[in-house]
Amino acid sequence: MLGIPTVMVTVSPEVSAQMRPPRALYPNGFKVGNPFGRPGMRDLQTAVVKDALGLLTQNTRPGEIITMNYPDYGEYHEPVRVGRK
Amino acid sequence: MATLSRKCVPFTPFDGDLSRANVSIVTAAGVHLRDQEPFNIGDDLGDLSYRVMGDEITSADLMVTHDHYDHADADEDVNVVFPTDILRELADEGFIGGIARKHVGFMGYTMRLKDMYEQTAPAIADEIDKGSRADVVLLTGG
Repeated sequence: MLGIPTVMVTVSPEVSAQMRPPRALYPNGFKVGNPFGRPGMRDLQTAVVKDALGLLTQNTRPGEIITMNYPDYGEYHEPVRVGRK
Repeated sequence: MATLSRKCVPFTPFDGDLSRANVSIVTAAGVHLRDQEPFNIGDDLGDLSYRVMGDEITSADLMVTHDHYDHADADEDVNVVFPTDILRELADEGFIGGIARKHVGFMGYTMRLKDMYEQTAPAIADEIDKGSRADVVLLTGG
């Protein structure tokens, strides 16, 4: 089975990293519930989708979560942290 | 189903042209069609089922049923978790080839991780693999 290429958009990069996604984008500071941005911010949503799909054509390292900044999003939200012992 | 090492990163290369690729969305954000049965948020163990959505959908056809994240923003504009309108615009402008024939939504919260991993996930992969004509899959959550 060949498989189908995937790309993930996550707002919980540490949690997602545990599953070793082949390609993943973390929009820096986006809150849970807003992986593609805020309601109505169509330009921002489009930018995130384009950047995520763009990872498919880049030589990313499998399992690495790419962080990108989108200043238009506004307030920064701290992502969920995975507990460490 | 192949058994992968727990340290392995499952990776399928993308060797095509994004402007000719059909894109499918698979989301754990609890998105489904308004006329589909909502996910069972009354089950403390979570709902392992999934919903298949076709390629003609727009954001107006969709809703969210999920009890483990604040989806007020998604209720207002589902594109924040399921960018169906965005994909359609990107297809119209030629950034992507088109919309795949199927998308899948499920409710990512579960206390039955083993069943999610061994049953739901392979079933969703099979659903996309057979008949969606997806060249790439965009994975989202809440």
